Amino acid sequence: MASPGGQGGGALSTRGGGGAKRMKWALELSLGNTRSRGDRQGGQGDVVYPIGYSEKPVPDTSIQETDKNLVEKRCWDVALGPLKQIPMNLFIMYMSGNTISIFPIMMVCMMAWRPIQALMSMSATFKLLESSSQQWLQGLVYLIGNLLGSALAIYKCQSMGLLPTHSSDWLAFIDPPQRMEIMGGGMVL
Amino acid sequence: MVTVWLHDLMKKSNCIYCLSPFLFCRRQQYVGKVRFAHFDTHVQSSKKVVVATEKNVFAALNTRTGELFWRHVDKTGSEGNIDALLLQGADAVLVVGNGRLLRSWEVNIGGLNWEILLDSGSFQSACLVGQQDNVKYVAVLKKTVISLHYLSNGHQKWIENLPDSETVDYQAVYSGGNGEVYVLGVVPHSHIAVVVYSVDDGEILKQFSVEAAWLSNIQTSCAVVGKGMLTCVDSTTLSLYMLDLHTQLQMTQLPLQTLGLEVDPGFHPTLVSTQPNAARQPLSEFFLQLGPEHYVLLQLNNGQIVTLRDFKPAMLVSFATTGEKTVAAVMSPKNKTACGLNLFSADTGRRLLDTTLIFNMDPYGGKPETLYVQAFLKKDDSVGYRAIVQTEDHTLTFLQQPGRVMWTREEALSDVVTMEMVDLPLTGTQAELEGEFGKKADGLMSMVLKRLSSQFILLQAWVSHLWKLFYDARKPRSQVKNDVTIENLSRDEFNLQKMMVMVTASGKLFGIDSKTGTIVWKHYLDNIPSNAAFKLMVQRTTAHFPHPPQCTLLIKDKDTGLATLHVFNPIFGKKSHITPPALPQPILQSLLLPLMDQDYAKVLLLVDDQYKVSAFPSTKNVLQQLQEMASSIFFYLVDSSQGRLSGYRLRTDLSTELIWEVVIPPEIQRIVSVKGKRPNEHVHSQGRVMGDRSVLYKYLNPNLLAIVTESTDSHQERSFVGILLIDGVTGRIIHEAVQRKTKGPVHVVHSENWVVYEYWSTKSRRNEFSVIELYEGMELYNSTVFSSLDRPHAPQVLQQSYIFPSAISTLEATLTEKGITSRHLLIGLPSGGILSLPKMFLDPRRPEIVTEQSREENLIPYAPELPIRTEWYINYNQTISRVRGIYTAPSGLESTCLVVAYGLDIYQTRVYPSKQFDVLKDDYDYMLISSVLFALFFATMISKRLAEVKLLNRAWR
Repeated sequence: MASPGGQGGGALSTRGGGGAKRMKWALELSLGNTRSRGDRQGGQGDVVYPIGYSEKPVPDTSIQETDKNLVEKRCWDVALGPLKQIPMNLFIMYMSGNTISIFPIMMVCMMAWRPIQALMSMSATFKLLESSSQQWLQGLVYLIGNLLGSALAIYKCQSMGLLPTHSSDWLAFIDPPQRMEIMGGGMVL
Repeated sequence: MVTVWLHDLMKKSNCIYCLSPFLFCRRQQYVGKVRFAHFDTHVQSSKKVVVATEKNVFAALNTRTGELFWRHVDKTGSEGNIDALLLQGADAVLVVGNGRLLRSWEVNIGGLNWEILLDSGSFQSACLVGQQDNVKYVAVLKKTVISLHYLSNGHQKWIENLPDSETVDYQAVYSGGNGEVYVLGVVPHSHIAVVVYSVDDGEILKQFSVEAAWLSNIQTSCAVVGKGMLTCVDSTTLSLYMLDLHTQLQMTQLPLQTLGLEVDPGFHPTLVSTQPNAARQPLSEFFLQLGPEHYVLLQLNNGQIVTLRDFKPAMLVSFATTGEKTVAAVMSPKNKTACGLNLFSADTGRRLLDTTLIFNMDPYGGKPETLYVQAFLKKDDSVGYRAIVQTEDHTLTFLQQPGRVMWTREEALSDVVTMEMVDLPLTGTQAELEGEFGKKADGLMSMVLKRLSSQFILLQAWVSHLWKLFYDARKPRSQVKNDVTIENLSRDEFNLQKMMVMVTASGKLFGIDSKTGTIVWKHYLDNIPSNAAFKLMVQRTTAHFPHPPQCTLLIKDKDTGLATLHVFNPIFGKKSHITPPALPQPILQSLLLPLMDQDYAKVLLLVDDQYKVSAFPSTKNVLQQLQEMASSIFFYLVDSSQGRLSGYRLRTDLSTELIWEVVIPPEIQRIVSVKGKRPNEHVHSQGRVMGDRSVLYKYLNPNLLAIVTESTDSHQERSFVGILLIDGVTGRIIHEAVQRKTKGPVHVVHSENWVVYEYWSTKSRRNEFSVIELYEGMELYNSTVFSSLDRPHAPQVLQQSYIFPSAISTLEATLTEKGITSRHLLIGLPSGGILSLPKMFLDPRRPEIVTEQSREENLIPYAPELPIRTEWYINYNQTISRVRGIYTAPSGLESTCLVVAYGLDIYQTRVYPSKQFDVLKDDYDYMLISSVLFALFFATMISKRLAEVKLLNRAWR
């Protein structure tokens, strides 16, 4: 958390340091171990630390606890994301109607594609949730959310008539029946 | 099937196709067999020949081109029959309908001068009557009356009853221009009665009878020659009889032997005389025909007969007059394929110099039958002439000296009986390639070499084709010839060009290219009986390359029942070397099986009157196949005279057994037509999608027959039309419908799962269409095979009727390759139009109340009237007279159906029932699309290169 300030100082000192090498003389006021700092900060120039500054971080347990809570919260956010999408999707579905035109089709495609994409990158999401203690629960919730999303998309397809669920959708694949008898004839010529 | 479609798609993408409504339709107009023909001579420069035909057509032909100047088509049958044609100046006088009407036409423009109704009575004869070199009247002789009419306005000058018309058979009328009209009658085997009327008031001037016990018919054996000398020839006594009509003395007998003439045994001699001007007397020279090829030119000189010249052999003779000169034209055979035509001076019998004309007979045509000669004076006062020769096959050939054929008209085509369309063969090179795979393999190396060589030939052909395209593109379009000859006949990309094989009633077969309408071959079959029934079958198509395509024509003489087969190649018209079997038994029906012999010819079964079957071809292979298949081969016979429908099954020994019989009592109703389904019909969709997206499956019984009956009682309250749907294998009656208070003629179309028929409703006095559709229901009983023997459920039947605002003359349905395209009905109207009515309008599911579901299904709400929209006429303004039949054939393009309408005219066109969904529009912008494609392609290439450079630069930084 303190590094931006330090970096800024470092940057300033770099310029100073660069200049210092070319100076005829220099006065060093600090007694700190510039070498080790230089190592840590990528060989930057010397920085004058204020008095009372300690290089070793002071462990702060209270902050750690809230962090962990935050991570949990973030993880839950991730896990509940698909579920939260559903009301929005429902609204879009309602608004777009059941007519087959380019706009509703695009909507449906997006709605169907997003959960599928999410399900395909499940492992990445799990990695994200690794730090959480309720990893499995969250993963399950995430999965359910996505499944619900895709179910919703399928329902939309169904209500739009895009699913081949009727016998008429398979009509074109029925071959004409083979005739068993040969027949001919006509009026007596 | 998917691959086929892909292939089609690929073809489609590189198809450059031009569309214009008039590009693909072609009409040919005919007049029929000529009965009377007169050259129009009243103006020197006139180039017309006026013809009246047996098809009741009166027309003027252009003698330069053979095209029609004008044509008047009268009613069919005896009502429009043209009894006589008399030409005087620019007026042509016609007696029509057995003396019902007298009409005068203006020859130049074909307009009607006047028309009058004559009194009833059967027509006998008519002649022009002149006085003082001026033809002013026309005399019409009927059974009991004679009337005289003014030529100028048709008004009746006088009408007189004939004396003793009960006993005397008046047959001829003659006028010599001296103010008298002679009516000649005969009491058979007794005497000749002559009545002389005065032209001025119709008073009987003289009346006498002369003994003539040998005479029975004046018109066939007598002629008036010279100064009113009635000359007759008798075949029993072999002598000439002469009677002077003015002095009315005894009939003088002059045996032909005294003239040194001899009649061919069994031949009835006839006389040919000429009367160049109706106001003058006939010439005193006349022809006497003594045998089929023997004529004598005789002259009547002061009561003495002088032989001027003996013509033997001579096939045809004719007189022609120009100015004061009359010449006799004589046609004599020269060799087997050619005839010579010569002019002789009529009064001396001397041959005129430089008048020989050679007429080359078509080896596939008929013999000359009639000769019409037009003589004219040349500048040097010699006589020149032109001639029209009519042959037995109804062909008119116009000849000019010295034997140049100016034009020919194939009038046999005015009476097409049946036709088929046959695919053209592939081009020679393509065929060669196919042939390579047809033959048996003989070693790998030689096959590879063969393959390479044929590919090379293909490449060569392609290059030459490209070169030709390029070369033709530079020429103006009108100069690019598209003549069709046998050499360049080849199938086009989409199989749109086919060979139309037409069988005409005269027995002449034609092969016509469907694209250009040119006659590629013709073949006249002589000794065809006049009442023959024809059935044309395609036994082998062009698809089996090394084997030539093969058509078989079954010709049956209806009197004897005996039939003959004519086997020929439909592309070249040549008679096949295969000898058809002799058929000693009368043949009842034929049946073309889908079985093939080892040479890929379909097997034709012929059923004789003993119900025995003979096969053609009947090789061992075929007989073996037949034995295997016998139990599944069925045929049905319909005898309309006995009202008997019977079904038979084939036994393995090629005898048959009767398996069902339905008798429709012929005293109540008679069977008028039986329609099965066309064997080459494909149905793509097995059902119909309902509004709720379920499927109503069609009842597609390939063995279904639609039988139409009409009541014998024609009373308008009791007459009816019945329709019977019967399974041809089992004899099961699927459906029966009767339309009361209706009568025929019924036109019927049977296809897929529907039957459409049209009849006249006597109750409402209108034409009505009725449609029957058959459905299996929501479930298919058996989706893989169809057997009529295993069908426990009866189909659902739906029927609806509609009013059609016009009478119709014929009905047919469109047909496409895969049956995907929606169907249209092609309706030939008596007005000469052909209407393409979408089948959608004839759908028994059309709802009376529109619902959401019916709207979803695209059903048109029911309306009793069927509309006729002018844009549905597929022949635009090209009227087709007397459409008798429409033939439809699929093309290689699914959207396109080839249509030929025949009747008096022949009209060929293409129809697109669902528009051209598989063809790019003709305004498709190839330039724009390809340039955009190229531009995009290059833009991609360039931007790719630029992107690479940029990436590289960034990596360097």
